Amino acid sequence: MKKDKGCTVIAGCGRLGASIAGKLSEERKDVVILDNDKCSFRKLPFSYGGLSIVGNATDMEKLNAALIDAKAFIAVTDLDCVNICAAQIAKSVFNIPKVVARIYDEDKLQLVKDMGIDAICPSELSEKELANYIEIEGD
Amino acid sequence: MFARNKEEKGILIIGGFNKAKSLSSSLIKKGYRVTIVNKNYDHCEKLAEIDKLRVIYGDGSKKFILEEAKAGDHQIAIALTPSDETNLVICEMCKKYFDVKKTVCLLNDPSKTDFYYKMGIDRVVCALNMITNIMEEQALMDEMTRRIPVDEGRIHVLEIPVPKDSEIAGRKLWELNLPKEVIIGCILRNDQSLIPRGDSRINEGDVLLIITSDENKLREIKEFGDYAITK
Repeated sequence: MKKDKGCTVIAGCGRLGASIAGKLSEERKDVVILDNDKCSFRKLPFSYGGLSIVGNATDMEKLNAALIDAKAFIAVTDLDCVNICAAQIAKSVFNIPKVVARIYDEDKLQLVKDMGIDAICPSELSEKELANYIEIEGD
Repeated sequence: MFARNKEEKGILIIGGFNKAKSLSSSLIKKGYRVTIVNKNYDHCEKLAEIDKLRVIYGDGSKKFILEEAKAGDHQIAIALTPSDETNLVICEMCKKYFDVKKTVCLLNDPSKTDFYYKMGIDRVVCALNMITNIMEEQALMDEMTRRIPVDEGRIHVLEIPVPKDSEIAGRKLWELNLPKEVIIGCILRNDQSLIPRGDSRINEGDVLLIITSDENKLREIKEFGDYAITK
């Protein structure tokens, strides 16, 4: 049933985290989602079949339990610093091959990029989209 | 010459109110140039009452605030915010973007200490660890010894009194067969302090100042003290 081994761990069950978790779960992939507020798990779709752990995204014990056979780690809490810290732990302590962090502040992107962590910056992405849009309009 | 060097040395403190306040007053008294960054305006106003202190209002985890605080002109950065993750990011930014020579980071969760060092933070201060260490020391080693951890607890300095009728009294140092991680650095006798040699003799009522690099040997030394008492 499962093609690839290892699960995906998502830190932060906000709108983005919950929707990624829902989609992966729909594709029958193993997902673990982590959030420090139990109530946030209500955002997950009914069909969600993965694990959910209540705990801090940078809690070593919780990460140890969640990341034990993970192949990817996605840090999408609402705090930049927590995302950076969690991603760095996943990369340098647990050697997870694929690590992605959402970082709002463009100035902080360089902190993780040198470590081989992928960063997603919403403002950068919207900027690109907007520039695209304006260019098309101009034609 | 020394004083001028100190004046040139800048210390940047980010976050924290009470800690930052007492730390900065003490550092200014010692002649350092201190800048504080705090994101609470009321706190900033109160901090600004301290003489010679430069206060910047803003979120220290933002690069442009650190730029405004001229982080690059400081040799030491100390992150004291209540959030572990923010402290880490602040120290990383100071190091990476502003070439601050030494970064000191406050940490609440002791399990992350090694990770923080791995990330290039020069000194990680874990308040919880320190308090538990002190508590343990107070609770367990109270009457017997006074124990001072040095260099993050890698080295310990202990005081062990030599009681009356102790077996080690009257013996020479080389006869004690101390483990090699342990040395007797000083013998306190009445008002004198003697730097001992192998052939120095230990008397009743002496206080031995012991230096050890191995924490596991602490127990052994303590037993050695206990043993000395029962004999």
